Amino acid sequence: MNQDKPRIGVYVCMCGSNIAGTVDVPAVVEAVSHLKNVVVTRYNKYTCSGPGQLSIREDIQANHLNRVVVSACSPRMHERTWRAMLAEAGLNPYLLEVANLREHCSWIHPKEELTTQKAIDLVTAAVERVALHDPLFPQRVPVTKAALVIGGGIAGIQASLDLANAGVPVYLVEKEPSIGGHMAQLDKTFPTLDCSACILTPKMVDVGSHKNITLLSNSEIDKVDGFIGNFKVTVKKKARYVSLEKCTACNDCVAVCPVKVPSEFENGLAERTAIYRPFAQAVPNTYAIEKRGSAPCKSACPAGIHVQGYVALIGEGRFREAYDLIQERMPFPGICGRICHHPCEANCRRGEKDSPVAIETLKRFAADWVMAHPESEPVRARKQGDSLKGKKVAIIGSGPASLTVARNLSEESAQCDIFEALPVPGGMMNVGIPSHRLPKPILEKEINDITSRDNVTLHLNSPVRLNGTGDKASLTLSGLREKYDAVFLGMGTNKVIKMNVPGEELNGVHYGAEFLRKVNIHHLGVKDTKLPKLGKRIAVVGGGNVAIDSAMTALRLSGGEVFVIYRRTRVEMPAFEWEVAEAEEEGIQFLFLTNPLKIKGEDGKVTAVELQRMRLGESDASGRRRPVPIEGDTFTLPIDTMIISIGQVLDDVDDEVVKNDWGWIKTDEVTRQTNLPDVFAGGDDALGPSSVVEVVGEGHIASESIKRYLLGEDLAAGRGKPVQESKPAYYDPASWDKTPRHKNPARDPETRIDFNEIYMGFTEEQAITEANRCLDCGVCSECMACVGACGAGAIDHSMVDVFEQVDVGAIIVASGYDVWNPSPMIEYGYGTYPEVYTGMEIERLSNASGPTEGNIVMRNGEAPKRVAILHCVGSRDEHHQPYCSRICCMYSLKLAHLIREKTHAEVFEFYMDIRSFGKGYEEFYERVQHEGIVFVRGRGAQVMPDGDHLVVRAEDTDLGKPVNMPVDMVILSTGVVPTSGAEKLAHTLHVTRDVNGFFLEAHPKLRPVDSNTDGIYLAGACQAPRDIPDTVTHASAAASQALGLLSQDFVEVVPTIAEVNELACVGCNLCVEVCPYGAPSLVMKRGRLVSEINEALCKGCGLCVAACRGKAITLRGFNDMQLLTQLETLLQFSMK
Amino acid sequence: MAETFEPKIVSFLCNWCSYAGADLAGTSRIEYPQNIRIIRVPCSGRVDPLFVVKAFLDGADGVMVLGCHPGDCHYQQGNYHAQRRYLVMHKLMDFIGVESDRLYIDWVSASEGKRFAEVVTNFTQRVRKIGPLVIIRDPHALEVKLDEVTA
Repeated sequence: MNQDKPRIGVYVCMCGSNIAGTVDVPAVVEAVSHLKNVVVTRYNKYTCSGPGQLSIREDIQANHLNRVVVSACSPRMHERTWRAMLAEAGLNPYLLEVANLREHCSWIHPKEELTTQKAIDLVTAAVERVALHDPLFPQRVPVTKAALVIGGGIAGIQASLDLANAGVPVYLVEKEPSIGGHMAQLDKTFPTLDCSACILTPKMVDVGSHKNITLLSNSEIDKVDGFIGNFKVTVKKKARYVSLEKCTACNDCVAVCPVKVPSEFENGLAERTAIYRPFAQAVPNTYAIEKRGSAPCKSACPAGIHVQGYVALIGEGRFREAYDLIQERMPFPGICGRICHHPCEANCRRGEKDSPVAIETLKRFAADWVMAHPESEPVRARKQGDSLKGKKVAIIGSGPASLTVARNLSEESAQCDIFEALPVPGGMMNVGIPSHRLPKPILEKEINDITSRDNVTLHLNSPVRLNGTGDKASLTLSGLREKYDAVFLGMGTNKVIKMNVPGEELNGVHYGAEFLRKVNIHHLGVKDTKLPKLGKRIAVVGGGNVAIDSAMTALRLSGGEVFVIYRRTRVEMPAFEWEVAEAEEEGIQFLFLTNPLKIKGEDGKVTAVELQRMRLGESDASGRRRPVPIEGDTFTLPIDTMIISIGQVLDDVDDEVVKNDWGWIKTDEVTRQTNLPDVFAGGDDALGPSSVVEVVGEGHIASESIKRYLLGEDLAAGRGKPVQESKPAYYDPASWDKTPRHKNPARDPETRIDFNEIYMGFTEEQAITEANRCLDCGVCSECMACVGACGAGAIDHSMVDVFEQVDVGAIIVASGYDVWNPSPMIEYGYGTYPEVYTGMEIERLSNASGPTEGNIVMRNGEAPKRVAILHCVGSRDEHHQPYCSRICCMYSLKLAHLIREKTHAEVFEFYMDIRSFGKGYEEFYERVQHEGIVFVRGRGAQVMPDGDHLVVRAEDTDLGKPVNMPVDMVILSTGVVPTSGAEKLAHTLHVTRDVNGFFLEAHPKLRPVDSNTDGIYLAGACQAPRDIPDTVTHASAAASQALGLLSQDFVEVVPTIAEVNELACVGCNLCVEVCPYGAPSLVMKRGRLVSEINEALCKGCGLCVAACRGKAITLRGFNDMQLLTQLETLLQFSMK
Repeated sequence: MAETFEPKIVSFLCNWCSYAGADLAGTSRIEYPQNIRIIRVPCSGRVDPLFVVKAFLDGADGVMVLGCHPGDCHYQQGNYHAQRRYLVMHKLMDFIGVESDRLYIDWVSASEGKRFAEVVTNFTQRVRKIGPLVIIRDPHALEVKLDEVTA
């Protein structure tokens, strides 16, 4: 609190007639001259002018003033000016109060008594308040001599070069993989018709090679902290997956990438691959891979097969490569491609639109193709290693889980001994599934591919005694554990569940899994085996896949009648619906809601079964409704054979190995290790009866664990992390083909009486078409073809986003614009009629490096004969953008010129006004008119189709008549809008935007490159639409403002910050909680905790001041006394 | 002599958004009623509930707090705190029997000059309809009123 008596000078400005026009300035001066402490009063015509300021300074000195009130324009205008004036007069700059008589009074009220009275009130309040002002001394902070430029278009490039050439280190952050922005997309630029790339690329190269510029491409701004001169910016450098140092831009990766998506640079008129370079002259000239997470098909696959990858490869006719890629995770593609329940298809995003891609059949196709072309060499050989050389692993069981483990470990040179109890390998794949579903030759090949490997030894007819039975010579688990370094339990679930009804022990009763096993072993040609004896009337009891397989096998073997008895309804059947349908097609009869009570027999043989009719009651623990018998409703079905197929469980296993609550082997969720450290399990014996694809996934997990165990590494490190599923496709689904899904052709049910395959699979053409229905959800499918093709070894799919902090003193925002998408204007038919384009799309067509090599042709391939260009599309329009986009008239003229020159087509421009305001622009307009381009003054109203061309309807206002102009091609000159990331960027920087979303300048006339946040400047189209010459000018201006800041050693930080009265503070912590900047903190002082403000961090918002209950914090310059005095004085006014 | 009641309106405007919006209204010469007196604060979060109470005690018929739009606060979260305090103030005013419509909070950005004028005009009209705020300042008159109520 100051001690001296206030001596106040009050100055009222007339501001020409701006204030004096409605406020009686002399009356105001007269009224305030009588106020307490007022020593001098004066009015000036222009207080801010040299003479005006001089008179005040002289007053200060002559009258020993120690407070000044200036009543003029808004303090936001000239408070800075007056403060400097006080400083020059030797007074502390903060002993000033400004009364806003212009923006808040004279300009908004009519010339009358009340207005003058209001002015008097405002000045009086200022006088009362200024008496309470204390001198304040701003802190000086050093300025970090570096700058951040956000955006690498021409504005960002220009600003960066200006700053770098002045010796300032610059960080240029660009979100795309290359700098260049929209200017790189243009063909020729108006009015000189300079080739855009020719004038841009030298600047781009300068940026890329400038010693003072650090180019952070493929990067975004994550967080901005700090304040003017001292910004701490966190930049997110997105993973490019390609090394900037190693990539030589040879393009070999593009040649092998199977994924094609619409190219953003070409505005969707052409495609690019997932690994790409935006355009040939990119800086940095390095490729990037677009990854959008794991495609839903891949993330649904329990075995982690690279689904999107192999589908893409099939779509390109690269069948062997697709097979090799499938093999990485699935050793049994021909098997899986026939029997899998395809969770991938259930998750396929294409299924949201029409039908999922027929992924399973495509996998089968790849496997069948390789079988039919045994001479084909692997495109990608599986990697072999020797990290497990010398290790021995025992594998019990030879089903798909065991075989996967054997393959993976033997590839690392471990010796794998497989002990299979049956005389044939393969487990349920071979002995559980009948050959009409899965032909034996395929099984033989795929199993043999593993068992014939050097390090794999298959011991058939070698059961391992796990349950205490068997003789002394039998293999035991403990015996194996002594001889081998690790053991994998893959014996599956083979013990059938009995029904426990009377008559079950009669002749003619079989069990499903055992029945199928006997049939398959016989079909596999094992000596001294027989097919099970069947009658002519066979009842199968059960509702799972084994029951259906048993029924269809029994039908084929017996040629008799087959019934399936199931105690619930079809809906609750666990069997795959398509398999149930196949069985029905073949004439198998389903008796639902029926349960066997008793099997009747004669002479020890089955003759009939007594059946109970059921109804559905309440749900049980699994959620399915329990079947409840209907009292007294029974009937007898004469049969001679029964196959009971109600499930399998684990054979008894040593108590040493712990089981879980369901009776399966208990394993660690992440590693599949059992309670015995060297024993691992996976597959049906750990999960319960499952599918091939699930247990193959298990095999991969277990083999990784075994490998780590054998090498003494941590089993769980880095595993068990959830997969990030990809975001939905971002490009326009209207561009998809509408091809429906191919059905897998099936044989006629009447001919299906043998064990030949039911389904026939796809031809090559069908496979390619079906594969091309894929939407490339993850974009990069991680097929790794690029890695193999890259000679420089520059590709690294394991890269992750990296966050880096940079310290700068100034920030320039140069984030640019987006071209507006005119789809909402349905009257113009953009996106509906093929020959309606935006201006930018025509730029790409006209550009020699574009999709048509510079030829302006329509989508039908022909050059247009008559073109209409419609101006002001989406601009100057209350329904879309109210503003004029400034560049469209000129680019429309330019496009008209280019089209006429290249195609000699007739060109009609439908315009409202021609805005050709710049240097050389009006002359260009003249030139274009002389070239015979016709200008119709009338805004295009509608574009309509007419046969194979379009009709533009407009009013020709010069003629006063409507016009229907038939044309081949319509170009919509759309306006420009702020870039899509502008909102987020504005929030990150705490910079405001105007009503149209463009960044807001501090003052539209005097400060066009300053934002409202000190130290942050605006360059280019991010602030307002502008053409290239104006953008370059604006950017240089922003750079020069930034240079003004950065060439100082210190900057003064606003001194109107918070201050704690330690005596009053009780340390309640509220101020700490509300401060967004972490300025207050509790410290020990005088033996207790009190708040202390870090003056460098405090921004002076006053949040803590208002929050403090005990009024222990004050805000310098805006303290309670000052504000309450101002409030009280203002409210003394009266309205007449 | 029936005079149309002209309310006294006090408004706290934040330096970065609403005050600048008011300036823009001025630059655009958009007229609005003269009833308003503006106090500039660095942030709407600076507005202490005490100021609101004092404003009414000092003779204001209506009080407005205008800040930046949510998400746009120059100091990141000041306007959220202003909003929270306003809600509590509103409840307090209901509790003590002062029409809560006399206190108003809204968001005006630096580019919304026209909107600022509309907000001022609408609020002034609203308070004009509610009528003058009556505060009993005479202790004796207050005692009489208390007796009436507690009898």
